Amino acid sequence: MALVMDLDERIRALTRVDALADGTKRQVLPYYAVLDLARSLGRARPRSKGQPRSRALASVELAALELGIVPERYLRNIDAYSLAEQARLLGARAAMVGLGGLGGHVLEILARTGVGHICAADGDEFQPSNLNRQLLCTRRSINGYKAAAAAARVGILNPAVDFEPVAAFLDESLMGRFLVGADLAVDALGGLRDRPALLRQAARTGIPLVTAAVAGQAGFVATVLPGATGPADIFGTADSAAAETSLGTPAPAVVTAAALMSAEALNILCGRGPRLAGAMLVFDLEAMSFERVGL
Amino acid sequence: MHITIRCYATLARFTPPDAAAFASTPGETAGQLAQRLGIPPADLKLIFINGQHVEPGAQLADGDRVGLFPAVGGG
Repeated sequence: MALVMDLDERIRALTRVDALADGTKRQVLPYYAVLDLARSLGRARPRSKGQPRSRALASVELAALELGIVPERYLRNIDAYSLAEQARLLGARAAMVGLGGLGGHVLEILARTGVGHICAADGDEFQPSNLNRQLLCTRRSINGYKAAAAAARVGILNPAVDFEPVAAFLDESLMGRFLVGADLAVDALGGLRDRPALLRQAARTGIPLVTAAVAGQAGFVATVLPGATGPADIFGTADSAAAETSLGTPAPAVVTAAALMSAEALNILCGRGPRLAGAMLVFDLEAMSFERVGL
Repeated sequence: MHITIRCYATLARFTPPDAAAFASTPGETAGQLAQRLGIPPADLKLIFINGQHVEPGAQLADGDRVGLFPAVGGG
């Protein structure tokens, strides 16, 4: 009998109602119900290349959100992102370049929050000096591709995310191709050399770029809209002149920058629009100071 | 007149002891201030006054908050 019910009816049948402290009620689709429903969708429509498991999970989550029901894994998102915004995140596509210190933490946050499509490129392999800050760098992943560790991590975090890893360094023309179809470019590169190319290609693609960099306890996060001036236009490309070559990249500054980047990326992807367009948020964790700077 | 100065990252070592109330004179530019602090011009990439990016020729005014930033690219 269950098989002849449509997905919406089956979602409703498995939904529980939570009473909130203020007396209101919230409809929640339990975590295991999402998995069971996605599995049954997979049986009804055999998996093909065009329909990986992530699509079945995402379609159950989307169907629930459209019914006003929160998939349990996003329960603690819902006061921050509305049901409609959560649904929009599941349909959004982020293109990230770099899976090191910034990229690993940004990927973690975007995947957990439920950004439905993420492609990420990095041709690098983990080295022992990455262990101080890079989320994806562990004793096990050392010497392996960062892109491979990223794919494994997304798989165990949130398999509803359609993740495309690219284990290659992108030159400017490849960056242009990589960004096609994305709603947002994330500059999680290390060093100054490749950042202006990514800025140009995001502008050419017509999408916003969220960028960040750190040196020692200081750093910045910025959003650059197509055609606008960005930090990469100001700092140049001479890696020998970059402050991090003498100050390093300690975890607190890297994770702070990555968290700010993620918050801004989610502002854009959920449809609220950027909050840092044309500006940099500059921070210094030694002084515990934050300052917004108009560019 | 007095200004406050914040030097970031590698420029932190040029922070004067009286950065919270640094003496300046009307007409002094941000570039001249950086020179007075001993910051090599090639190391100074971004100057901001009261939260706005300015060119080195921008003149300082009493109470300004001046930020000096080098090239930063770590990730």
